[in-house]
Amino acid sequence: MRSGGRLRASAGALLVVAFVAASVPGAAHAADSASPAASAAPKVLRIGTTTAIDNPNIWAVNSTTEWEALNLQYDMVMKFGDTDLNAAPSLATGCDHSADFRTWTCTLRSGVKWSDGQPLTSKDVAFSYKFAIDKGFSLFSGYFPDGTTFSTPNDTTLVWKSPTPTNGPMVPAWAYVVPEHVWSKYLGASSKQITSADVVPVVSSGPYQMTSATPGQNWTFTRNPNYWGTAPAYDKIVYQLYTNQDALVQALKNGQVDIADALDGSVLPALQKLSNVTVNKVVSDWWVNLAFNFGGRGPGLPALQNLDVRKAIEMAIDKQQIVDKVYPGAAAPGQTIVRPLSKFWHLTVPTDKAIPYDPAAANALLDTAGYRLGPDGVRVDPKSGQPLVIRMPVSDDTAGSDGVGQLVAGFLKKIGITVKVQPVTAGKMYDLQQSGDFDAYIWYWSGDPDPNYQLSVFTSDQCGEGLSDGCWKNAQYDTLFAQQQTTFDQTARKAIVDQMQQLVYDQVPVVVIAYPNAIEAYRNDHVTIADRVPQPDGYILPQYSVDALLSAHPPAGDVAVDSSPGLSVWAWLLAGLVILGLVVFFVIRGRRSEDDLDRA
Amino acid sequence: MRLRYVARKVGWSLLTLLFVLSANFFLFRILPGDPLALLARSQRLAPSALAKQRAIFGLDQPLPSQFVTYLHETLTGNLGVSIISGQDVASLVASRIWPTVLLVGIGTGLAAVIGVLVGIRGGWNRGSGFDRGTLYGSLVLYSAPEAWLGMLLLIAFAGTLGWFPAGGYSSGTTTGLGQVADVANHLVLPVVTLALGYVGQFVIVMRSSMLEVKEAPYVEVARAKGLSERAVRRGHVVPNAFLPSFTLIVLSVGFILGGAIVIETVFSWPGLGLLTYQAIQDQDYPVLEAVFLLSSAAVVLANLVADLAYGYLDPRIDEV
Repeated sequence: MRSGGRLRASAGALLVVAFVAASVPGAAHAADSASPAASAAPKVLRIGTTTAIDNPNIWAVNSTTEWEALNLQYDMVMKFGDTDLNAAPSLATGCDHSADFRTWTCTLRSGVKWSDGQPLTSKDVAFSYKFAIDKGFSLFSGYFPDGTTFSTPNDTTLVWKSPTPTNGPMVPAWAYVVPEHVWSKYLGASSKQITSADVVPVVSSGPYQMTSATPGQNWTFTRNPNYWGTAPAYDKIVYQLYTNQDALVQALKNGQVDIADALDGSVLPALQKLSNVTVNKVVSDWWVNLAFNFGGRGPGLPALQNLDVRKAIEMAIDKQQIVDKVYPGAAAPGQTIVRPLSKFWHLTVPTDKAIPYDPAAANALLDTAGYRLGPDGVRVDPKSGQPLVIRMPVSDDTAGSDGVGQLVAGFLKKIGITVKVQPVTAGKMYDLQQSGDFDAYIWYWSGDPDPNYQLSVFTSDQCGEGLSDGCWKNAQYDTLFAQQQTTFDQTARKAIVDQMQQLVYDQVPVVVIAYPNAIEAYRNDHVTIADRVPQPDGYILPQYSVDALLSAHPPAGDVAVDSSPGLSVWAWLLAGLVILGLVVFFVIRGRRSEDDLDRA
Repeated sequence: MRLRYVARKVGWSLLTLLFVLSANFFLFRILPGDPLALLARSQRLAPSALAKQRAIFGLDQPLPSQFVTYLHETLTGNLGVSIISGQDVASLVASRIWPTVLLVGIGTGLAAVIGVLVGIRGGWNRGSGFDRGTLYGSLVLYSAPEAWLGMLLLIAFAGTLGWFPAGGYSSGTTTGLGQVADVANHLVLPVVTLALGYVGQFVIVMRSSMLEVKEAPYVEVARAKGLSERAVRRGHVVPNAFLPSFTLIVLSVGFILGGAIVIETVFSWPGLGLLTYQAIQDQDYPVLEAVFLLSSAAVVLANLVADLAYGYLDPRIDEV
């Protein structure tokens, strides 16, 4: 046989080996599932996500997946309830307040243990809260008014005293309870030392504990044997990172993951074609925000301070069309500034108070207000003589912002307003917001289940270096904001919060363009999931509470053995041997050639 | 090789590294905003909390003062803490080196071996069907965007056929030999993509070099001595034609630590390229400074090795 023939034969053999091995993907695992040992194998639920758990340390929480990791492992004193995210029993069975709402007494469950067997007591709760406050972890400490103290008369009682009336425990305070016996050694440490501390395996009180973390790859959570609630159906949960949406969809399709997290609307058509995939469109917890600059930090277009102009803009924007084109099937038209996920607090504006989409009426409104069309088709401000040309940056960290900007520009052109859309990075957007160097912008807002934070960013004192978009100031709004902070009756507070949402809607300091859905999907032939948080259209994954995920279990008859596509160990060994054989063959042949050369 | 030649090359390398060290600091601070500003909205940070965070990371200090601190810390081996994740940067970067070396090392190695072998055969048999086919194929592969190529393989072999995993480094639940096979399974698609993307350049360089050398007078002399065509090719043409490919290979080795940003992103491969991509998105200064320093140092070192090796392989060079 000629050498070329031998080469081809060898390569062919390699291909055959690869083909044979590849044609039995997951062979090793398949063998497991057929064996009697399969039933004893750990049940693993695989979750694919597009955001990493960069740091498993609770004090460094940042990404959405890191929040999910916290909810899998830690408990709050009162948690977000399944119905409407209002406070519900968790570590505490309930909290009672004094008449002046300055003292709260929470009663904890007895017999709760950490995953390492140590008892969880009220001292852990007091330590956790104090640690967050003293170390300046503002994500968790913001729920405690300055000067709040905690005492623990016994192991199951926490007394929370505040110098000012507070509804803190019943917001509920979004602060987790950590083990004092783990974190007390960091009392003298800096926040940098604390956030860089190695915490795996995590000592947890929740249903799972992180037992391994491979940065940038996957994170394994193992069932906490001491969990105080109902034991979950899965022994392990593995989060696997996919850095792009397409890869995650392919992983769901080939069964590499059971649940896909943090999907975006662009993959909906591909997912909806798959009969073994159930798509969960989560009621929106954020909104696309078109904000106007009122000149508090830097001059914007003066005409935008005129309510008629802002109203005309709101009337000229076809939100339904934006939703259909930019977020097809995965958003709802926006309206008020408390996101729909906060079901109890979100206001749907009554029809008789709604500003309708009506470009003709918008044109008429601008005509009446004296904004006449110039020769170039652009309206002119009667006071300043300035044409209505809006500089509108759109931030790249807001999904669909560029598309929204282009559509808004098209809508406003029809009422004689020119919009110059400027795509910018989120960093640049922050600079623009702080310098007031814009006329209007498109960014996003999210928030807590409780509306206090979201409402706060529209108060007058959030101008300057604060969070206010464009320094809108309204005394009535400020008064209402203060009132809702000290109104602890839910119904009475809800009435004030509704009034505030309606006020912002009427005054149009911002246009709430759209409420995009978060999207999750799961293989319905691998896992059955009954609940959502909040019910019935909330999250499966533990963004706010682990309850929905705890309802997940393998379908009847499914052995739920872990599987992964690819060649088996034996196939790789065989392929390795073939490659080694080829190398040896070529080396020997090369030596023979050199001998030939020497002889020549 | 003269000592002066070596000293000159090493000196230039150190100067280059010093320049990179300084440039790294200013390069990323040109970007608008700062990393903590990005967290303000997503993490619902109040202005006071934001100010406190800035102070912790020294971002509230004047730029020259930050630069002095950065130089001092870096030169004393402290790469700092990630602004976004709070992790120790040195261990974060260290954890990404092996996956990158594995992926880019194997991918580049495969591309180099296959590319050089194909280039030798094509160049030697210029105008043959093999030469035309591999040349056009190389041009197509060389010009194909890696992201597109990767996505095609991903959809075909991970999604549609389900033969290989859609991404990641391992499934996280295997041990021992099973883990090795698991990593190998995850490695197949990114390595094939990388090798396909890089093989074209090796084919083209080796082929053109072969064409040049095979017309050289000393090759004619070898033939005139009565050597067989195979002996001429192996003994006189290939060794001399290999020099440009050798340069390419050494430089490619230098770029290994730079990672393969596109491929690592497509296949969710947790290497330095993906870390760089994420750090750029987050404007995570300490991580960016560390990975750029590391990849620059690798390239500078590879260049130094190439220079010194050239000086050894071709003694005429150290006369320059």
